[in-house]
Amino acid sequence: MKEPTVLPTYQAKDFKSDLKPIWCPGCGDFGVVQAIYRALAAIGRAPHDIAFVSGIGCSSRIPGYTTAYGFNSVHGRALPIAQGIKLANPDLLVLVAGGDGDGFSIGGGHVPHAIRRNLDLTYIVMDNQIYGLTKGQLSPTSPKGLHTVTSGLGSLEEPVNPLLYTLAYGAGFVAQGTPADMAGLAEIIEEAIRFPGFAFVNVQSPCVTFGEDDQQVKAHRAAMKPLKSIGHDQTSRIAAMDLAQQYGQSLHTGVFYRNPAPAPTYDAQVRERQQAMAEKAVPRERILDMFVQK
Amino acid sequence: MEKTRKIDFKTLGLRDALDLAMLIEEEAMDRYGEFADSMELHHTPAAAKFFRFMKGIEQLHEAKLRGRREELYPNVPRVVTREMIYDIEAPETHEPRVHMTARDALKISLGAEVKAFEFFDAALKQVKDPGVGGLFEELRNEELEHQELVKKMIAKLPPDDAGDIADYEDPPVMQ
Ligand SMILES: Cc1ncc(C[n+]2csc(CCOP(=O)(O)OP(=O)(O)O)c2C)c(N)n1
Ligand code: SF4
Repeated sequence: MKEPTVLPTYQAKDFKSDLKPIWCPGCGDFGVVQAIYRALAAIGRAPHDIAFVSGIGCSSRIPGYTTAYGFNSVHGRALPIAQGIKLANPDLLVLVAGGDGDGFSIGGGHVPHAIRRNLDLTYIVMDNQIYGLTKGQLSPTSPKGLHTVTSGLGSLEEPVNPLLYTLAYGAGFVAQGTPADMAGLAEIIEEAIRFPGFAFVNVQSPCVTFGEDDQQVKAHRAAMKPLKSIGHDQTSRIAAMDLAQQYGQSLHTGVFYRNPAPAPTYDAQVRERQQAMAEKAVPRERILDMFVQK
Repeated sequence: MEKTRKIDFKTLGLRDALDLAMLIEEEAMDRYGEFADSMELHHTPAAAKFFRFMKGIEQLHEAKLRGRREELYPNVPRVVTREMIYDIEAPETHEPRVHMTARDALKISLGAEVKAFEFFDAALKQVKDPGVGGLFEELRNEELEHQELVKKMIAKLPPDDAGDIADYEDPPVMQ
């Protein structure tokens, strides 16, 4: 092996907090948090340069298990809070995470606005097709026909398609992963963090307690179709949308879309405007003059 | 699935191979520790005890390799990192279950030993350095010994108690 000139500053274990996860043993979220530690180590930013925001749900406990600034906030409100944090301190690396219920049910209305505003955030949804924390009710991504405690005769609704949803609203980076492929998942999350703008990662994260057999890691491993292996063009939004329609039927993993010419982020534009205004601003001691009639 | 990143077995030297082997043990040790914590938290004491025991075993293996590494390459910094390996000897995070028996826990460990054997066996086909070849062969054979050990432990276990999972169910909660 070649000698690197600089040894990595942070290792995955530097991002593991002292809090012991209370997730059910075997929960897919254990794999997701490991992938996040690895991605953060590869990025190399210090824990105090990172803010991790979530809503409410089993998956939303994830900031507590990560060494960084953390905010386990209100159900469905992770994105507005994260946008506020990023605007207040644009130098922070801001991660947002939560469940499919948090992101596409109660919080679904925030997603399009976060996308069109295009702040430099990485949004990771742990899509287990169920409400885990409240013990197994129907969620927005539950497949039609699913029997749960709130759909005893089987759900009559079509699921939300998180990939198509975010692609259609114009997200610059959309990807999907599963803890069945840890190396692939860590890589996707790292790429999402590096993308300059709003990046969305849908993680098929199995709920071992309330989830279906065909949604577990073993089933994922058998069904997975890495996008790299089918020669998908990740610079084409149309090709990505075409593939994304297979959500729920085929498990495609990897980057669906990455804008080859990323648009300027909202935070960068705000900074630019602040600088332009600061140049024209009157000195502090003359501020009152603006309001005093001469 | 890929088990390593940025490691080329064809050019791997002994120092990096020893570091890699130590990291593999360290990863397994940490994972068994996490499993034991989780089992304790979820009132599954027999599995917790076994996972804690396995953590100790992996710790011993790691220390043995560390001693060898320090003797051969004292004070030479490590280049290989944990981020380059994925669940080689560590059982995978999705494997444990709440209220699993000691037998279930041992079976997870047996699967991990098989996985590790397969890893070294596959790597050996690419390795060129004779020192690395020797090390990996030794580690591969150790994995076989561990498998036998776990199998013997499984055989000694009393039959599983047919508990009822409903005894442990909690009512829905608010948050
Ligand atoms: C305003 C509000 N409404 C409802 C709830 C109850 N609640 C907590 S978590 C949750 C859904 C959890 O599902 P999801 O977001 O998919 O996360 P998971 O637990 O599956 O990871 C609900 C409905 C709440 N805490 N706050
Ligand atoms: S209920 Fe499901 S999602 Fe929640 S911790 Fe348990 S396995 Fe994970």
